Amino acid sequence: MIIEESVNSALDSIKTNLLRSLLTALAIIIGTAAVIAMVGIGTGAQQAIEDSISSLGAKTVSVFPGQKKKRGIRSSWVALWLNDAEALSKDSEIAWRISPEMHGNKQVKFGDKNANFSVNGVQPNFFSVNSFILTKGKLFSENDNFSRKRVAVLGNAVQEELKIPEEMLLNKEIQIGGISFKVIGFLGEKGSGGWENTDEKIYIPMMTASTRVYGRKWINTVRIQIPEGTSINKAMMSIERVLRREHDIGPGEDNDFRIIDWSQIQQIQKDATAIFTTLIAGIAGISLLVGGIGVMNIMLVSVTERTKEIGLRKALGATPRAILFQFIIEAIILCMIGGIIGALLGTFLYFLAASFSEQLPFVLPILAIFGSITFSACVGLFFGIWPAKRAARLDPAVALQYE
Amino acid sequence: MINVDSVHKSYDLGETSVHALRGVTFSIEKGEFVSIMGPSGSGKSTLMNIIGCLDTPSEGTYFLNQRNVGQLDEEQLAGIRNKEIGFIFQQFHLLPRSTALENVALPLKYASVQRTEQLSRAEEVLNKVGLSDRLSHKPTELSGGEQQRVAIARALVNSPSILFADEPTGNLDSKTGSEVLEIFKELNEKGQTIVVITHERDIAKQSHRTITIKDGEIESDSMN
Ligand SMILES: Nc1ncnc2c1ncn2[C@@H]1O[C@H](COP(=O)(O)OP(=O)(O)OP(=O)(O)O)[C@@H](O)[C@H]1O
Ligand SMILES: [Mg+2]
Repeated sequence: MIIEESVNSALDSIKTNLLRSLLTALAIIIGTAAVIAMVGIGTGAQQAIEDSISSLGAKTVSVFPGQKKKRGIRSSWVALWLNDAEALSKDSEIAWRISPEMHGNKQVKFGDKNANFSVNGVQPNFFSVNSFILTKGKLFSENDNFSRKRVAVLGNAVQEELKIPEEMLLNKEIQIGGISFKVIGFLGEKGSGGWENTDEKIYIPMMTASTRVYGRKWINTVRIQIPEGTSINKAMMSIERVLRREHDIGPGEDNDFRIIDWSQIQQIQKDATAIFTTLIAGIAGISLLVGGIGVMNIMLVSVTERTKEIGLRKALGATPRAILFQFIIEAIILCMIGGIIGALLGTFLYFLAASFSEQLPFVLPILAIFGSITFSACVGLFFGIWPAKRAARLDPAVALQYE
Repeated sequence: MINVDSVHKSYDLGETSVHALRGVTFSIEKGEFVSIMGPSGSGKSTLMNIIGCLDTPSEGTYFLNQRNVGQLDEEQLAGIRNKEIGFIFQQFHLLPRSTALENVALPLKYASVQRTEQLSRAEEVLNKVGLSDRLSHKPTELSGGEQQRVAIARALVNSPSILFADEPTGNLDSKTGSEVLEIFKELNEKGQTIVVITHERDIAKQSHRTITIKDGEIESDSMN
């Protein structure tokens, strides 16, 4: 009964002073909106990173060229060679799959269409190591690789960029760096995994790239897929062992190559996003507290304005507790209205951000919504107590005479 | 029913203190209709606040229905104000944004009465004071006399054992004032105990007994 009366009287009071109430709730609205938007965007970004981990295939590491270190000073760059990849392939300790890549940018022509693409020499296993899906045509084989065939598989965005339908490209000749290649297949969309977009690339056999296009035997990177049941650390140690042997690195000398564990990098990215999100959400939380002080202020005003009403309620039998309750409820409702409006606003902002960004998915941040509405209610409770206590302590005889 | 024994009340104002009541002793029996008169500042309202349990005496004892009010805590006082006392004020003191019906139901909310019963009882007493066609009017939509009748209905809704009115006709013209007085007389005939503070001798005359206060002391106490 008292709850109902308290809620009614709170809504009534908020309605009568609508503008004042909304202005008071503004800080709460902004705080909650910021929390929701940031948590939404943050978790969305984490989701995107997680997705890109799984798109990379569960366990892959990459080897990149490094620098030789002489007496503690880094000097000349040391290349990775096709031989290094071969040596890794031949090592039988771990049943890993080795996929070297050789890339550069080349002018690509088809008829009068003309564009610059990254052209990657890869081995046939590259597509499965990187979980690519073939949508049309076929992939190149070991045989195509060994016989240095001039065939090309196009990433999903290439045909779009050239503005030529797939049907017109399939089994047709295109010019890559002035050399004629036959388009034999198209890859499904993969999205960008971090900083590079694998959809905007053209893939040709490694040997073809090495002998006909780039004319070199050094490669840019080797991607290594580690089988289930083998730890990444163990695999990294094996890679080190093989490459140190290949590069003639004596004991005590540093590696002249770098091994990158993608899952670790993405974990770092995830952690960074999480820290960033928490930081912003924390700042927004402070704005909620500032809002709470505003609420306390307005509640003190409200108590003073309604001294007579409080006196009357007491004369009619309201206990101090009932009065305390009434004003705490009013503060809580005021904050919760701010919290709800803020949550709607924040969700909308996040939705907007997600619809403008291709990489940011929209996942309704239900937990954050309920969490921040609850938190704003707690802010109301905390900052409402003192004004409500003042109301509850009022002397009815004096309060009734208040002008 | 009311036993006031050498009650003093003084207000501490820092350096000085105001001695509003200086040893007041009297009793009121069930069913009486008593008026309290006296010049402005003589302590009438102070006395009514004490016997209405809105305030406690500085000295002396006050028994209401055999209970020593001076020894009750805030919760218990609130309970007594809610169930045993009905107040009527000069300025009506209605909640401006609530309807007549809601205003009258207010004491029942603090008595934790069921909502449906709240409304039916509020409507019943509003009928009694002749406002059955004004249930959903807000105070600003009512005349002064009607507002005071809503306040009377509110005072009656919990069937209190005693009704206190502090200058109930002070803000009304003489015609509506006497209408309000008629309601009091009717209620008293049905057994309602009533204490009215008034400045008007005509009104005091219509009560059974008049207590006159001067400078915080009883000057006279006589039957009419
Ligand atoms: N809360 C208070 N603090 C200090 N002094 C007070 C307080 N309430 C009343 N007084 C003083 O006590 C005395 C009695 O006041 P009270 O209101 O009882 O007079 P009253 O007889 O009701 O007068 P009126 O006819 O004008 O209503 C006055 O001198 C008044 O100034
Ligand atoms: Mg008075």
